[in-house]
Amino acid sequence: MLFWQMAWRNVWRYRRRSVLTVLTIALGLSFDILMRGIGDGFHEQMVDNSVRAGIGHIEIHRSGYQRDPALLKTLPDLPLLERLVPRTPHLRGYSFRVLGDGLASTAENSTGVRIIGIVPGAERSVTTIDRAVIAGEFLDDRMSRPALIGERLSQSLGAQLNDKIVLMVQAADGSMGAQLFRVAGIFRSGSPDLDRSVVYLLRRDAQALLSLGDGVSEAALLLDSSQMVDDARRFLTGRLAGAPVEVLPWYVVQPFLRQFIELDDDFFYIIVLILFIVISVGILNTVMMSVFERVREFGVMMALGTRPRQVVRLVMQESAVLALLGAVLGAGLGSASTMLFAYTGIDLSGYSAGASALGLTTTVSYPELTARNLISSDLSVVLVVLLVALYPAVKAAGLRPVEAIRHV
Amino acid sequence: MAQIEVVGVSKTYRNHVAVHALTDVNLTIAKGELVAAVGPSGSGKTTLLNLIGAIDRPDSGVIRIAGLEITSAPAGQLADFRLQHLGFVFQSFNLFPVLSVLENLEFVPALRGTPKRERVQRAERLLADVGMTDLRDKRPDELSGGQQQRVAVLRAILSEPDVVLADEPTANLDSENAALLLDMMERLNRERAITFLFSTHDPAVMSRARRLIRLRDGRIMGDEARES
Repeated sequence: MLFWQMAWRNVWRYRRRSVLTVLTIALGLSFDILMRGIGDGFHEQMVDNSVRAGIGHIEIHRSGYQRDPALLKTLPDLPLLERLVPRTPHLRGYSFRVLGDGLASTAENSTGVRIIGIVPGAERSVTTIDRAVIAGEFLDDRMSRPALIGERLSQSLGAQLNDKIVLMVQAADGSMGAQLFRVAGIFRSGSPDLDRSVVYLLRRDAQALLSLGDGVSEAALLLDSSQMVDDARRFLTGRLAGAPVEVLPWYVVQPFLRQFIELDDDFFYIIVLILFIVISVGILNTVMMSVFERVREFGVMMALGTRPRQVVRLVMQESAVLALLGAVLGAGLGSASTMLFAYTGIDLSGYSAGASALGLTTTVSYPELTARNLISSDLSVVLVVLLVALYPAVKAAGLRPVEAIRHV
Repeated sequence: MAQIEVVGVSKTYRNHVAVHALTDVNLTIAKGELVAAVGPSGSGKTTLLNLIGAIDRPDSGVIRIAGLEITSAPAGQLADFRLQHLGFVFQSFNLFPVLSVLENLEFVPALRGTPKRERVQRAERLLADVGMTDLRDKRPDELSGGQQQRVAVLRAILSEPDVVLADEPTANLDSENAALLLDMMERLNRERAITFLFSTHDPAVMSRARRLIRLRDGRIMGDEARES
């Protein structure tokens, strides 16, 4: 306890230097916390945008569908899945869909399209596509063969609201299917791919067009957050063991998104590493000066019987005081700044083209403050300070008392 | 039985030129003696104290304190030896500036693992014994040089070591404070039978010692008992 008292008072012996050191640690740490928050918020938003654009947090297909998405690979034992999926933990919504490819034609043009057959109410619970409608309205079960198409597809086909389009497909039974649909709505999702190539139909119309009977291609599940994916996935795989289905999290369905996030994290860690090196140099300077200014004191301590490891302990305790003060202040500043930006948002509208390419359909990013980030940032900075302080501490412990006492 | 036994000890410092600080020194000091090592600057007084204090090693010879041979002990054991057997008083007081008088006195017992309550009681008793209770909570920079050196002596004897080594303890004190310090050292030596060995070239200090060891050029030139 006496050593802790000495450590605390030694820190405040050189008040200005210690305050500057604590501020250096605190500012570095708060920057780290804010940057982690911005990164996490940005990534979560990218995931959320992709998830809400259609893939959901989890997709369930017949086994092998992800690798080879053939029309005939419809979900097995649909009644079981329809009973099981609603019981999934952390579930916010789910949609059983039909997926197929075809050719959309108008009198003027034709283009290849992705056909997605949906139940409107269920789809609303998973995606935000109903809110992206810019003309007409979202699909409704009461409509007769409606189609919801993207704005770019509408332009390329020259199809306006209420115009007719013909969808031609190779049906599941091998026949060529063709049906006339009326454009009930046009959407602008912000995702160029979606806006250019997707046609939403009522699920029953898609099943008829593709000769699928009651078959569906996939179930898409939306959870409370992407953090819940593994938990929900465990629940489903546990209960579907042996069934010929694959339960895929978003990062398997869209691996490039995960790769981008990992790459972005790697860049961030490099920045943090540089930041910590800068902090380390400051700490090293402070602790070295503090040790060299007290050589005679360490000599006296050792002459009185202080063991070298106790000298190391004292210097480390002084560094720990600096680190902990910096950690507390930095956590406060970092949390406050992250919460401020989480409230106001960070405007990315100047980078909307790039943001859209990264899967962001919104132009405001909201940083996230998480306990995990706070704890890992704090622990990292405390660890770095203690590691850096080890060198001067060992130097102090290695002093020869007879020389140290004579030190001027 | 000798408290301090120095047998054939030599020490040479080699920087640009070799300086023979001590040459073949032989010496025994019994428990409870009050001994002054005297001589001019460079005579080897401080080197002798450093070697007996186990903060430096001789080139040759053997030193035993309370029957323990310290010259061949590993460095790690010497810290423990100093803690258990020796007390130090330095020329420049060298109290810890961030600790109060009471906490400075607590330092060595704390290193020895003495419980807080016990070491505080002992420190308070000692302060009361020498009439310095009112300085208990003061920091060293609030004390005069004489007060600081008296606290340093108390720090050295609080854990009742076998030997207290004091290197020129009055060098930075005026005559009045030096006299006060010597009064205290004499009293503690008499009442507690702690062996004191101090170096000095101050005639006032020499007059208080009951034995004078005269050094010159690293050799003992005289060893005389005195009446106190």
